[in-house]
Amino acid sequence: MLLFWSEEHVERWCKQWNRPRGGIMPTETCVKLAYDWYSDRLDPDGRRKTPEEAKAIFDGLGLKDEFWSLA
Amino acid sequence: MDIEALDKAVRLKVYELLLAAGSMPRVQDVSDSLGQPIDVVGQALARLSKKRSLVLMPQSGEILLANPWSAVPTQFSVKAGGKDWYGICIWDALAIPAAMGAPGRVTTSCACCGEAMSIEVDGGRMVSGSGVVHIGLPAKQWWDDIVFT
Repeated sequence: MLLFWSEEHVERWCKQWNRPRGGIMPTETCVKLAYDWYSDRLDPDGRRKTPEEAKAIFDGLGLKDEFWSLA
Repeated sequence: MDIEALDKAVRLKVYELLLAAGSMPRVQDVSDSLGQPIDVVGQALARLSKKRSLVLMPQSGEILLANPWSAVPTQFSVKAGGKDWYGICIWDALAIPAAMGAPGRVTTSCACCGEAMSIEVDGGRMVSGSGVVHIGLPAKQWWDDIVFT
């Protein structure tokens, strides 16, 4: 998961390294995703998110297409 | 101590030592701090790795990732809580201040052109920053090779 200056730079990078284009989100969305995913990580009972919890987080951020499907 | 309680104690100790020292603890450090034999701690770490709670180094068995922290320097440096950290990807780097409940700054560069980029975050909010995040693999494949992901 890499940071790019713009979507155009993602396209250029994918072409340069012969990689398929994956999922793209604004950095601000990734900030929220990181917070929703990890803000309870240091809690004594903190744990990985279940698929249902992960889906709820993705949905809440508008990440709803097939790329984000966990099934 | 039963296995579940031991694994939880090991997981929490890893984070406690990490935050106190500012670097990933070695297995021996966790063993010494918990007063548990190193092989017992090693087995607990292996179970936690199997449950994807953390990632171990393939040769030494030391801790590589106690997500979102990386034991080794990466291109994603983070300043939070008065210390310097590394995340293995932009998501994990942004997650370090989130996990600490502290404001933070992630410094990296555009993966394409190398332009320096900095993102300041506070409480799940982007205070300053720009750009887009690219994720190469669909979500269902992330854990096939989390280091690559």
